[in-house]
Amino acid sequence: MLKILIEKELKAIILSPKFSATFSVCAILIVLSVFIGLRDYQAAVAQYETATTLSNQEMREQTSWMSLNTRAYREPDPMQIFVAGVQNDVGRLSSINAFSQIKLENSNYSDEPIFAVFRFIDLTFIVQIVLSLFAILFTYDAINGEREGGTLQLTFANAVPRVQYILAKFIGSWLGLVLPLLIPLLIGLLLLLLFRVPMTGDHWAKLFTLIGASFLYFTFFIALGLLVSALTKRSTTSFMFLLVAWVTLVLIVPRAGVMLAGQITPVPTVAEIDGQREGYAKERWKQHMDALTERWEERNAGLQNLTAEEREAFRDDHSWDWMKEDEEERKLVQRDISEYDRKLNEDLRNRKATQERLGFLLSRFSPASSYQLAAMHLAGTDISIKPEYEDAMRDYRDKFISYREQKQKEEGGGMAGGFRIEFNSDTGMKISGDRDSGAIDVTDVPVFEAPQYRFAAGLLPAMPDFGLLTLYTLLAFAAGFVAFLRYDVR
Amino acid sequence: METTSTNEAVTNHAVNSPSQSRAMLAADNLTKRYEDGVLALDHVTFEVNQGHIYAMLGGNGAGKTTTINLFLNFIEPTEGEARINGIVTHKEPLRAKEKIAFVSENVMLYPNFTALQNLDFFARLGGQTGYSKDDYREVLLRVGLQEEAHNKRLKGFSKGMRQKCGIAIAILKDAPAILLDEPTSGLDPKAGFEFIRLLESLRDEGKAILMSTHDIFRARDIADTIGIMNQGRIVMQSQKSDIAGEDLEKLYMKYMAGYMEQVN
Ligand SMILES: Nc1ncnc2c1ncn2[C@@H]1O[C@H](COP(=O)(O)OP(=O)(O)O)[C@@H](O)[C@H]1O
Ligand SMILES: [Mg+2]
Repeated sequence: MLKILIEKELKAIILSPKFSATFSVCAILIVLSVFIGLRDYQAAVAQYETATTLSNQEMREQTSWMSLNTRAYREPDPMQIFVAGVQNDVGRLSSINAFSQIKLENSNYSDEPIFAVFRFIDLTFIVQIVLSLFAILFTYDAINGEREGGTLQLTFANAVPRVQYILAKFIGSWLGLVLPLLIPLLIGLLLLLLFRVPMTGDHWAKLFTLIGASFLYFTFFIALGLLVSALTKRSTTSFMFLLVAWVTLVLIVPRAGVMLAGQITPVPTVAEIDGQREGYAKERWKQHMDALTERWEERNAGLQNLTAEEREAFRDDHSWDWMKEDEEERKLVQRDISEYDRKLNEDLRNRKATQERLGFLLSRFSPASSYQLAAMHLAGTDISIKPEYEDAMRDYRDKFISYREQKQKEEGGGMAGGFRIEFNSDTGMKISGDRDSGAIDVTDVPVFEAPQYRFAAGLLPAMPDFGLLTLYTLLAFAAGFVAFLRYDVR
Repeated sequence: METTSTNEAVTNHAVNSPSQSRAMLAADNLTKRYEDGVLALDHVTFEVNQGHIYAMLGGNGAGKTTTINLFLNFIEPTEGEARINGIVTHKEPLRAKEKIAFVSENVMLYPNFTALQNLDFFARLGGQTGYSKDDYREVLLRVGLQEEAHNKRLKGFSKGMRQKCGIAIAILKDAPAILLDEPTSGLDPKAGFEFIRLLESLRDEGKAILMSTHDIFRARDIADTIGIMNQGRIVMQSQKSDIAGEDLEKLYMKYMAGYMEQVN
């Protein structure tokens, strides 16, 4: 009986005009999206390689350790083809030097805002928006449409158990939506192989889990469509209702959750943080200058009773210590400021994290958010890439600076930060550091190691969302089941 | 006219009192009060034996469809029960439904399926998995659907063509009982006539047939037993042999009018 019903369901779907429409739209969208994502990825790889080569080149051409600095780049990942996440919005590089903070800059969308206007449509978007709509289109009249068509009566004039009927509806609609999805997905996977995208085992695992999550996601909408169809007598009513539910779940709740969290737990803006940092720095430098002045006065006071020659001698004896002392003080100030900055950043990050947690918690009342969050976690394109990359870059910066300082000490010797200013009528002014001529040898310069996004590491934070999606789906299905058992077939 | 005489008439013309054993279809004090309080069926009792046609005759709102829906367990009785081959429909609906075929007032099938595909689905749903395409064609020809329509989608079918498919589906199920709700309403006279002949041949095969109609002449034509229904009651029931055509018409008008008088 179940087989007969499922067969009929599939046949009815395949023969209906909405099937051919869905199939062609899905096929075109998915193949196109994978193709464009793939080309974007390849372009990003090419850009990344050129940029890192150039940056290394620049480093090799440096003539002094003092002025040695570099840039660290975010590495493109094949998963961005399917889940763009925030990767187009987060900056691609940060400069690595002693004077500036680590900050990811130059995002794709800030470099080429035209692409931000018509954002890249990735597989996640297609599933989240388009497929969920199709799922509704497939199921909004699954039950009440048959009632209106009179076929429900004729069906239940036979010895058909209701449980089997609703199961067949569910399975039939599911298969009717999955089958048109599989073909373009397979073509997409073939494209990956064809274009030799460097997919590791981890990448394949992520990709297939992502596809699993996508199926789970639209399964929810199939269950929801059946539920509403089994709760209403007319298909026009269920269609309206489902459309409202779709807009609420897919468009409103995710945004409202984040917005509400912003209201509940406000986070200071970047400008506010900058202001605070500058205020502190100014205050601290002022303190330092005051202390310095005081120290000089003290030192001078000690010289008061001496003759000019004695003074000169005393100065010669002590100037080195004084300078050292002042330098220590200056360093202390700098340390204080960066310590304060670190604290500010940490505080900001904590508050942001709290806000994000709350925002995501609220938005997770929608399966669309759960799906998106799960997909981004899996792909490693969730918002944590920014802090994670910045942390990695900060570590790298520390390594890089200590490497540079050590080299400076080894090769330059003497006083730290010593440099010479030359005036030359031909070349103009020339500032040179420890070495006068020739490039420095940077073969053993530390290399930036990008954070690794392993499958397991992405799966773990995605688990709660998988759980939620399963829960939502089961709830919708169970409710639809119960509703249909009481459905009036007339 | 008073209530008592109505009841008298019923008893006068009634078939033997309901016996649970022999009747294929039996309504036993069948009563239905809808959620909104309408008493659509009021202690209706009758039975239909194998090889018999029972016609429920009555105007709109008399309770004919309600009766049939109770046999199909589309709704639950407020009181009493409907039995099919002794099986109480609201207690064992699945077992009961194995024994009945149903043709509705307006047969609706899957518009994107061809006639043959529709037949195949509903035949298998009715538990008949052994048919071949030729069997379906044969039945379609028997009910009068021309060859060239067999492979056409139901979309373009007229009501008459759909009714024919509906009766074909009922025939294919080969159930001992057939329920028809105003099956000839909306059919042209020729199609209506053919339909009646078809029902007669089914009766001769031994089916128990319960049909509702508001067409007094058609009822007189084929029914073995006629039950005149009004306001949820069988106000008169008679064997075909008991009354001549004119009488039935008179009786119908009389009971209808009398009943209306009494109500008003
Ligand atoms: N679903 C329903 N809810 C409430 N009242 C109904 C419903 N279906 C039918 N009725 C009422 O029950 C009575 C009998 O209706 P029905 O059995 O359809 O009559 P018939 O088929 O003889 O025209 C009518 O008064 C009708 O209005
Ligand atoms: Mg009716």
